[in-house]
Amino acid sequence: MLKKIRVEDAVGEKISHDITEIRPGEFKGAAFKKGHTVCDEDICHLQKLGKNHLFLIDLEKDEIHENQAAAMLAKGLAGPGVVWQNNPKEGKICLYAQTDGLLVVDKATLAAFNMVDEVMCASLHSYTRVKKGQQVAATRPIPLVMEKAPVERAAAIARQNGGALSVHELKQVKTGIIITGSEVFNGLIKDRFAPILKQKMNDLGSFDTQIVFAPDDAALIQAAIQKHIDNSCELLILSGGMSVDPDDVTRKGIEKAGATEMYYGAAALPGAMFLMAYINDIPLMGIPACGLHHKTTILDLMLPRVLIGEHIGKKKLAFIGHGGLCMDCIECVYPHCPFGKGM
Amino acid sequence: MMKPMECLLEESAKVHGHLCPGQVVGVRMAILGCRLIGLDEPTQRDQIKKLIVYVEMDRCTADAVSHVTGVKLGRRSLKFMDYGIMAATFVNLETGKAFRVLSTEESRDLAQIYAPEVDKKSVQQLEAYKRMPDSVLFRVQQVQVNINELDLPGPTRQKAECSHCGQVIRDGRQVVKNGKILCKVCTDNCYFSHAREITWPAMNWSPHNGILKKPHIGIKKGMVFNKSNQVISKEKI
Repeated sequence: MLKKIRVEDAVGEKISHDITEIRPGEFKGAAFKKGHTVCDEDICHLQKLGKNHLFLIDLEKDEIHENQAAAMLAKGLAGPGVVWQNNPKEGKICLYAQTDGLLVVDKATLAAFNMVDEVMCASLHSYTRVKKGQQVAATRPIPLVMEKAPVERAAAIARQNGGALSVHELKQVKTGIIITGSEVFNGLIKDRFAPILKQKMNDLGSFDTQIVFAPDDAALIQAAIQKHIDNSCELLILSGGMSVDPDDVTRKGIEKAGATEMYYGAAALPGAMFLMAYINDIPLMGIPACGLHHKTTILDLMLPRVLIGEHIGKKKLAFIGHGGLCMDCIECVYPHCPFGKGM
Repeated sequence: MMKPMECLLEESAKVHGHLCPGQVVGVRMAILGCRLIGLDEPTQRDQIKKLIVYVEMDRCTADAVSHVTGVKLGRRSLKFMDYGIMAATFVNLETGKAFRVLSTEESRDLAQIYAPEVDKKSVQQLEAYKRMPDSVLFRVQQVQVNINELDLPGPTRQKAECSHCGQVIRDGRQVVKNGKILCKVCTDNCYFSHAREITWPAMNWSPHNGILKKPHIGIKKGMVFNKSNQVISKEKI
């Protein structure tokens, strides 16, 4: 229960919540911390902050303070790889990445959590690459005092499937790259794909890459795939030969190599003719020629997800459609743009 | 142990007449309600008498709750409270524990997030309600239910007679007005009006004397019949 008293009558009373002060462009933070005992000198300061009255809190049974609620919510939300400190500021608790990795947000859970009255959590987009210590989300209850049961329910919703927010380290993998195309294989033109793909893998923390060239021949592409598998590669990336021309036989080669799953086509541009396949547990990613021209493509959206062990199927390739259109900026600022974040 | 959800849902849909989102909510509401009051197979003989369920809506969900729990109007284990609220209260008569399970309004809005690949709204809701955890689909209140002894299952505990029409009234449902016992029909608060006693065709039918006879056609002057005694004209020749 909250009891309202005049600021002038509050001397000697303890402040029941952090009181925020905002000086535009200069300061935003707690001018008075929860628990501070009001003294004569504070009255003028409080009035300047627009506070002519203060609340005194007398918690009823089943009621909790916002700070206690914030801790319950943060505990529920934080899944593997997400950390927080029980040090609420102005009723809010921030959640941070415990390691470098990929933030995964269970969007249904987050939505269900936020549909509970009087609680909120805002996060970064799912599949954002984050650094250790980076803030990934923040949560707070809305009122100063609230009933315990809805907070407990929100926390229960948050912790379904192990927490709505998680940060997963990117696995370092041995990568087998296959550059297809007779024009490159026969030396008619110089390959430019291999350095791009190698660099992308390095950026994601995987440095062990093996490169094999193959002409537009399904049997030879099949042999190249087999060679990488025999060399215990854990991820295969195939470039080129993904389109609709008679010489585009990469898909055939993957099929012949014994693909156990294969999904051709993705709702992203650039990257419509992307191919995702699996030979048992080994993921194979077929990147069309757009990967040569555009700095960022479907490959950049899917590679980190594959590296945290996500299984990519038809649904995931379809759901990126909303937000899957690259704006093709003169200077690419990905990942600080909407590409691939609309799911 | 209760049967798996899918199995209960299939049975419930069959009994109800169709599979719909309300069936999923009802089946899950009943599973949760029974779990909360500590009954793991309410339709079993040893548990059936421990349970009373109050349903607060006469919608598909009510049928599913009734099917899964086995509560029935005629057993007095199913109570209908006409509140228009998607909720049901599960009472364990043995322990006195009671929980009111409410279907959340937000679960309707969340259906498209839990089953985004389904486009038709009712199918999407149906699928999403299967996927949502209980915490999203329901809110639960622990409640106290004071059950009048006259509402409990078991034999009729009291009989009275209407001083106006002579009707026997069971289980204390009579009304006392100006010191006189009345049945609810004889008060101003009755759901029907203009009652008039009638006779009806084939009044003497019973399951023992068999098939209903074809209705009798009154022969009127001017009617023309064929060989099978069917009326072919009402005009005078």
